[in-house]
Amino acid sequence: MHRKLLVAGLAVAALVLAGCSSSDDTATDTTSAEATTEAAEETTEEAAEEEVTEESAPAVTMDDSNCAAPENYCVGLVTDLGKVDDKSFNQAAFEGAQLAAGEIGAFLKYVESTDPKDYMANIGQFVAKEYDTIVTVGFLMAEASAAAAAENPNINFVGVDQFQGETLPNLTGLIFAEDQAGYAAGYLAGLMTETNKVGAVLGTDTVPPVLYFGEGYRNGVMAANPEAEVTVVYHEPANAFTDPEWGAAEAKKQVTQGADIVFGAGGGTGNGALIEIAKSPESGKSVFCIGVDIDQYNTVPQAQSCLLTSAEKKLVAGTSALVLASFDGTFPGGNFVGATGLAPYHDTEDAVPAEVKTEVEGVIAGLLDGSLETGVVK
Amino acid sequence: MRARWAWTITVIILVGIMFSYTQDELRTTSVLSFSLRYAIPLIIAAMVGLVCERSGVINIGIEGQLLMSAFAGFFGAAATGSLIIGTLFGIGTGLIMGAVFATGAVAWKMDQIISGTIINIIATGLTSFFYAQGQVLPASTPVVAIPYLKDLPLVGPVLFNNGLFTYAAIIIVIFLQIMLFLTIWGLRTRAVGENPSAADTSGINVQRTRFINVTLAGGLAGVAGAYLSLEAAGTFERGFTAGRGFTALAIMIFGAWNPVGAFAAALFFGLTQGVASQLQADEVVDIPPQFINMLPYVLTIVLLAVVAGRVRPPAAVGKPYEKD
Amino acid sequence: MSSDGPAQTDLGFTDPNPTLGPKYGVVKAFAIPIVSVLLAFAVGGILIYFQGVNPFTAYRVLFESALGDSDGYLRVMQKSTPLIFTGLAVVVGLRVGLFNIGAQGQLIVAAIGAAWAGYHFDLPAVVHLPFALGFGMLCGAAWASIAGVLRAYRNVSEVITTIMLNSIAIALVDYLASRPFKEPDQPLSRTPLISDSAALATFGVIPSGFVIALIVSLFFGWFLIRTTEGFRFNTVGLNPNAARYAGISVKRTIVLAMAVSGALAGMGGAVETMGVVGRFEPAFNAGLGFDGITIALLARANPIATIPAAILVGILRTGANSLQFETGIEPEVVDVILALTLLFVAAPIVSRYIFRINAKRKSKSKGRS
Repeated sequence: MHRKLLVAGLAVAALVLAGCSSSDDTATDTTSAEATTEAAEETTEEAAEEEVTEESAPAVTMDDSNCAAPENYCVGLVTDLGKVDDKSFNQAAFEGAQLAAGEIGAFLKYVESTDPKDYMANIGQFVAKEYDTIVTVGFLMAEASAAAAAENPNINFVGVDQFQGETLPNLTGLIFAEDQAGYAAGYLAGLMTETNKVGAVLGTDTVPPVLYFGEGYRNGVMAANPEAEVTVVYHEPANAFTDPEWGAAEAKKQVTQGADIVFGAGGGTGNGALIEIAKSPESGKSVFCIGVDIDQYNTVPQAQSCLLTSAEKKLVAGTSALVLASFDGTFPGGNFVGATGLAPYHDTEDAVPAEVKTEVEGVIAGLLDGSLETGVVK
Repeated sequence: MRARWAWTITVIILVGIMFSYTQDELRTTSVLSFSLRYAIPLIIAAMVGLVCERSGVINIGIEGQLLMSAFAGFFGAAATGSLIIGTLFGIGTGLIMGAVFATGAVAWKMDQIISGTIINIIATGLTSFFYAQGQVLPASTPVVAIPYLKDLPLVGPVLFNNGLFTYAAIIIVIFLQIMLFLTIWGLRTRAVGENPSAADTSGINVQRTRFINVTLAGGLAGVAGAYLSLEAAGTFERGFTAGRGFTALAIMIFGAWNPVGAFAAALFFGLTQGVASQLQADEVVDIPPQFINMLPYVLTIVLLAVVAGRVRPPAAVGKPYEKD
Repeated sequence: MSSDGPAQTDLGFTDPNPTLGPKYGVVKAFAIPIVSVLLAFAVGGILIYFQGVNPFTAYRVLFESALGDSDGYLRVMQKSTPLIFTGLAVVVGLRVGLFNIGAQGQLIVAAIGAAWAGYHFDLPAVVHLPFALGFGMLCGAAWASIAGVLRAYRNVSEVITTIMLNSIAIALVDYLASRPFKEPDQPLSRTPLISDSAALATFGVIPSGFVIALIVSLFFGWFLIRTTEGFRFNTVGLNPNAARYAGISVKRTIVLAMAVSGALAGMGGAVETMGVVGRFEPAFNAGLGFDGITIALLARANPIATIPAAILVGILRTGANSLQFETGIEPEVVDVILALTLLFVAAPIVSRYIFRINAKRKSKSKGRS
């Protein structure tokens, strides 16, 4: 008898969970509002409601049953093993696509790959429905994107984080100077540190963007403050982006050793580092953290108290710009270098002296116009 | 023989720690804190395997039990706004997972390995499927510094300035060491694990003892899971137990199915991790992190190969009990 | 029970020779897996329903995308191929009473081994193909043999060692792909592409790896049931003491079986590298080894039955992303369905309801539970 009760109990628990997570799901449409609700930026809110509103937009495309028709515009997005709710990289690309889709009244749908063998097939699903623009997110998909673009000259492909060696007119690689964002963050950290010790807890150095963030950060700190000591640790490649406990423990270690600013970069692992720093009683007063990829003030609210800034790849802006360009017929092809920079200071606005802000702005400007080099070998 | 070997290594490590403490206080204490922190979920999870195996049940579903309870703990705390309720959710889920495992492995006499595998696969599937983003813990778990003790050199900052789960883990280890070897429950449990027929003859209800122990061990997995999501990481990610449930099995074996031994083993592996990342951070030597990470597993296999016979699991492990 | 033989595990298929079994065995062999799969689909359907999607629509999408066109067939076959091998690897182990949960590790070690053999050498295809395939198998066999030898000569549980070896394998291939075997002048941890001479071709929609998998599983269907060695495997698995009494070297059989099991898992990895992926690359191991356990149990340890079981899993895995594309259901629902399938196949509840009479007899003999 007790066994049946157990099974029943488990079933009830499962159903309750099911109810919880489905209650805020727009089930028929995969541009689920759920993924973005907490990233409560006005822009993304607009995007989430893309199908309902948009006064300036043309007729809103409601589904993908007839993407071939000129009045219907369809945008598809495929991840490389990531999830669109990962609080950083994939989510930002997805939000960018949402933003653009909202602006032009396009229909947007995503598929999350679970197996590298599926990249072509997942892109193929959008191709079969004659989607107008397909966004592929992550450098693991570079080859699949190039192959699909070559086969389908009528469809524009946006390859996020995919550098294009040979260029195709209908494939634009959205790439970022991660080293510059890392450098700017490092420069800020170098100026802000009181203890002359700063740290960084990163995903694996076998993933190029992470490596460029980390090494740019290191060089930035040294440029701003040659006396500072920089501690940079990388996770091993296995579980590199899903090990927040390791990230937290490393962050704690660095703070104990005197670091007062820690850069957390690497999906969940980096987020673990940020959350750990925020737990410190000195968080936001004398101990700070720096996020990555997008403004993590919105995606990791637990870390708000310590979050100085985020070394941003303007993924939202870059992705949406390319989707819009595809819509307008001004699709560039080749490589498109998206903007990088630092996110707003938010809660730590007052903690950062005005002259530091000015100096960091100068550095960012210098990096942008090429007068300043990060010294990171790519 | 083996004990002497273990003691020698322990003494060498302790001397090394003392020496490095005289050289660099801050680095030493922070690396040791890291080691302890790395060890805590492993040690609690190792206790899960230990209680099960001492009762004659091999539990390879610890990974899944951790994942489910970390999930329930996190989302429970986020939904109710209370860390305490979250912890209870985690422990409760652990107990349920323990009971589910016990139902298969003990009551239904299913193959224990298959039962454990099912737990792992189900946990991965359910937690990924139901994962919802945007949940935040209501608060962070308190750090409790123990007066006076915390001011001791070296051990003070490492041992006596921690979160509640850390103290709980140490208490669990000592408690289980006493329970297993000094109480009637321990005697019965070990009897059921070593020689269930004899235990049965002497009036112990083998099936019931196993069912209860395996279920309670699930509760311990709940503690470890809640620790991971509520105290250690402060968040939940898909698949974020990252194989700790399997490392725990290695630690259990390395500790010779003995709570205090497993504790020492967990600390040792924590120390290797802490030292390795410190070496990387200080740019002294760049040991490929993969080698550090495979160390517990390699050493466990070597240990099993070398001292087989002297270190051995409870005799009845893995076999469903059939009355003659 | 002797402590130096393998532990006797009741996996529900105590009949070692399905062809000789009574009618009950035949019905059981088909009915239990089928009912289990249906039950798992039913529970999965409830989950899907609570996500706001009609489960029938969802399942139709899932199967249509996998079986709707030639591209779907190709992908199902590609996905089923390594699964047949890992399923067989687990089956061979089970026959000898060993639980090889290390198919995952053996597969990835073999995959990177085959990749190395494939890119490092320049040989004519007639030599290169068998060499790369054989080298991959050898890697898998060697990796599994560690567990086999420790089981046979040191009486160390193969379950524990294969778990440890899985973790070591993940770290090892990670290291190899990021340092010594890394493709130069690019940032990813992956090996160079294998030479064309080591690539397994696809004929129309039929990948040659799939054909190899079919042949190998038919071979093992014959080997385990019709040959002396197969008889030894089964005897050791059923009763090591009786086997010893009959003059069979239990230790030798265990080592051999584990090596064969590893070679099979290794062949899965090698075929995957040589026929589908073309190199070893990040995220190569999408849980292929663990699906092998589900498949072996679904096939009730019958080598030939691993084919339909693996194809079913292949269909589910192929359709998962289309399910998300069409309905928004997360692809992980397939993992839940597979776990439930495993649960129902392994749990006695299903068989009890199907075979009430037998179950009554069985439960009586086992005492209260």
